[in-house]
Amino acid sequence: MCRAAGKARVRAGFFFAALAAAFCLGGCVSLPQSDALRVAAPAGLPLRVELTQVPFHLQDDFLCGPASLAMVFNAAGVPASVDTVTPMVYLPGRQGSLQAEMLGATRRSGLVAYTLAPQLASVLREVAAGTPVVVLLNLTIRLFPVWHYAVIVGYDLEAQKIIVRSAKRARDEWSFSFLEFFWQDSNYWSMLALPPGRVPATAREADFATAVAALQQAGRVREARESYRALLERWPANLIGLIGLGNAEYAMKDLRAAERAFRRASETHPGSGAAFNNLAHVLAALGGLADAEAAARTAVALGGPTLSEARKTLDAILALRAAPR
Amino acid sequence: MSTSFVRLVSRLLVVCLIGLPFQVNAGMIGTDEVVSAAQAQAARATVLGQISRADVAGQLQSLGLTPQAAKDRVAALTDVEVAKLAGQIDSLPAGAGSSGLLLLILIGVLVWWMVKK
Repeated sequence: MCRAAGKARVRAGFFFAALAAAFCLGGCVSLPQSDALRVAAPAGLPLRVELTQVPFHLQDDFLCGPASLAMVFNAAGVPASVDTVTPMVYLPGRQGSLQAEMLGATRRSGLVAYTLAPQLASVLREVAAGTPVVVLLNLTIRLFPVWHYAVIVGYDLEAQKIIVRSAKRARDEWSFSFLEFFWQDSNYWSMLALPPGRVPATAREADFATAVAALQQAGRVREARESYRALLERWPANLIGLIGLGNAEYAMKDLRAAERAFRRASETHPGSGAAFNNLAHVLAALGGLADAEAAARTAVALGGPTLSEARKTLDAILALRAAPR
Repeated sequence: MSTSFVRLVSRLLVVCLIGLPFQVNAGMIGTDEVVSAAQAQAARATVLGQISRADVAGQLQSLGLTPQAAKDRVAALTDVEVAKLAGQIDSLPAGAGSSGLLLLILIGVLVWWMVKK
């Protein structure tokens, strides 16, 4: 059954590829990113980088997702193999792995899953900073896609090539334009698996904050806490970072640290109801009911989407204050 | 039961309640709420995602996962990701590569050469 489907797939792929070749003989496909790189190399990058320490995991049929993740997990210091990652990401009914689940499996392994901007230059920068990059490729044409994950572990700006671990090959060199040709159908999708506390070389503030919050939401609070600290070192006033750090500290029962984080959040974002609401909670838990009430009243006065929570917080604190001692 | 005993128990309870450090944690605002508030354009997707979690878990089950595995996997996704998956699990890219991979790559290389020549 599988084999028959595979054969049909290959045959159809052959047909469409031949068709595409016929259509594109005139050169209708443009590869803008590799063209731009040929004209001018990105500033400040070493000419040649290869992350030889990234191990290779051989891919069995359909398992390029787990194999790619195992490689980048290992590079981030997390033990993993195709066998351990497959149950986290492989979808039998699709005979493959979805992008969202690649990110989810990364979080479940305690790593920050970060999607890069759709630029080859961003990939090169991350590799230069020591982080291997997973890319999603379409091996055929848009009409009849066969999706495939591979791991970029190096590049050579002079030769205009990337170094890649893919399928059954531990080390391949592809030209920039070769990569771009297969990569463009996924809208140049690529991702990192970052160890806690590490900020991507090409990090955008809001996207990285969201990525760390997603790690926290997935239940990896300790790891998220470390990454929030790194985020705040770079962007000290980031609201998601401050609230997230406070919530992580609170979940790990370090109430003093939680108080500090929420206080910073309320000072740098005096309009944030969430900051004052959560500050009120922590102050109440620490026994400072008068200060807690003041913070809760501020949260209620600020209104907004957190108003109903803030009202509940204030009621709970007032009830505590009214309780007989 | 004597009233003094009841009074003692209720006093003990009050002391316990005040002494417990996490007695009012029910209303803590989660980081995910702050995230969705920060991304106005993502707010709709967030709502959809919250509604769709069970649906997506069900779809994952129908594609060969156990109920527990499906639940665990969905729990690792953001609301925005869940909203994107909902109803599209059958059509979104699923990276695989197959036994025909090598041949397909050869075809791809062929096309690429023809384009570049």
